Amino acid sequence: MTKDRIFEIIIGHTREVIPELQGYRFQPDDALKDLGANSIDRSEIVAMTIESLALNIPLTETARAKNIDELAGLLYEKSQSC
Amino acid sequence: MSALLKGEHAFGVMCRPGRQLPEFSVKTGANPNQTADFLGAEIHTLSLPDCFSQRTLRTASFSSQVALVTLLEAWSDADLDAVDPYRIGLVVGGSNIQQRELIKTHETYHNRLHFVRPTYGISFMDSDVCGLCTELFNIRGFAYTIGGASASGQLSILQAIQAVQSGQVDICIAMGALMDLSYWECQGFRSLGAMGSDRYAQEPAKACRPFDHDRDGFIYGEACGVVIVESASLPRRKDVTPYARITGWAVGMDGNRNPNPSLEGEVRVIQKALDQAKLSAEEIDYINPHGTGSLIGDEIELQAIDLCDLTHAYLNATKSITGHGLSSAGTVEVIATLLQMQARRLHPTRNLDNPIEPSCNWVKHQSIAHAIENALNLSFGFGGVNTALCLGLAQK
Repeated sequence: MTKDRIFEIIIGHTREVIPELQGYRFQPDDALKDLGANSIDRSEIVAMTIESLALNIPLTETARAKNIDELAGLLYEKSQSC
Repeated sequence: MSALLKGEHAFGVMCRPGRQLPEFSVKTGANPNQTADFLGAEIHTLSLPDCFSQRTLRTASFSSQVALVTLLEAWSDADLDAVDPYRIGLVVGGSNIQQRELIKTHETYHNRLHFVRPTYGISFMDSDVCGLCTELFNIRGFAYTIGGASASGQLSILQAIQAVQSGQVDICIAMGALMDLSYWECQGFRSLGAMGSDRYAQEPAKACRPFDHDRDGFIYGEACGVVIVESASLPRRKDVTPYARITGWAVGMDGNRNPNPSLEGEVRVIQKALDQAKLSAEEIDYINPHGTGSLIGDEIELQAIDLCDLTHAYLNATKSITGHGLSSAGTVEVIATLLQMQARRLHPTRNLDNPIEPSCNWVKHQSIAHAIENALNLSFGFGGVNTALCLGLAQK
């Protein structure tokens, strides 16, 4: 799976958790927090993405990602090493 | 109200996911005594208003969603937007109310635990109903849950009364929450001999028959009820008319963990409630009993009514129409009483073809005209919980 595809998966789950973002055009440097996701929302989005990618990693390993692009990159790395 | 007076029901074989025994338990003979599907009355369509965002509803359990919809109706009816939110409290009656959601989560994630959704860490707790209600309705006084098995709903009202009386809040919302049973709890109730109905497995509409000779246990019904309790001294809000006055109440324990009822315990709370209301037995003209369809429970309750010299009062069984909501029953039945007071009519008792005590003043197959002056509501719960509540016609 490519990093771009992971980016799309994150966006899909973000829209599922925050339906208000249905029409929003996501940018790589968007931070989930700035888009209105609270801490539970962010955990949900990451957990859903990890499930979609069938990764077996703790949520805490994604904490250092500052924006969606970094999160996608981090998950891409994990997917390559699993 | 018209549905209540017509005795309209929704009984059938339950079909909500997680309500019937899974294939494997039937195939493996894990339950050889099971002869029938679980019967009950389920909410067919839950209309969720737009004021609740999809973002919130996505992670709200079914019990919570029903709680929000029910509270919205009561909130509007009582015009609580006009009240200082710091002076409003919430008591949610019921414990372990989201068992079906729990089973769904277990089944979805049993072999991949690390994918369990983070919100499960919040939503599995009954108090999540409090969290959602206080957030969406901006309730700032207090909120907590209170459990008393099938008396939980009425207990929530008694707790609300005390919160208002003590001045803790001006207005207290009492909610009997929807107890969302999974097949595990249904099977447990069946095994206990509490839940029917093998006898009417092929005729679900006839299965729920409190106080009838042919009853064989309670039939479950999905429900949630909200009652707003406030002090009579509080200034009236425009267009808000009180349904009734709370005149007396009582709670008492049997000192018994088991499900069996206690005649002494039931008599004690009835008399205590009447004493507090300063009412003689003959002044009670309507009783909304616990009346579940339980073999022993129904008989003991009628004995208690007889011992308290209340057999003259009109008697019907709301559960014959709604089913037994367990945690919600006490509030739903108080609401049924209030609506009957307002309508000046009493609803029928479905399936009461052959009452176990014919001398009682039953409202049987048809609704009747009657202007309630003083009503008595009874709720009892496993573990020896007895509660009684007297309601008087609201002063004009």
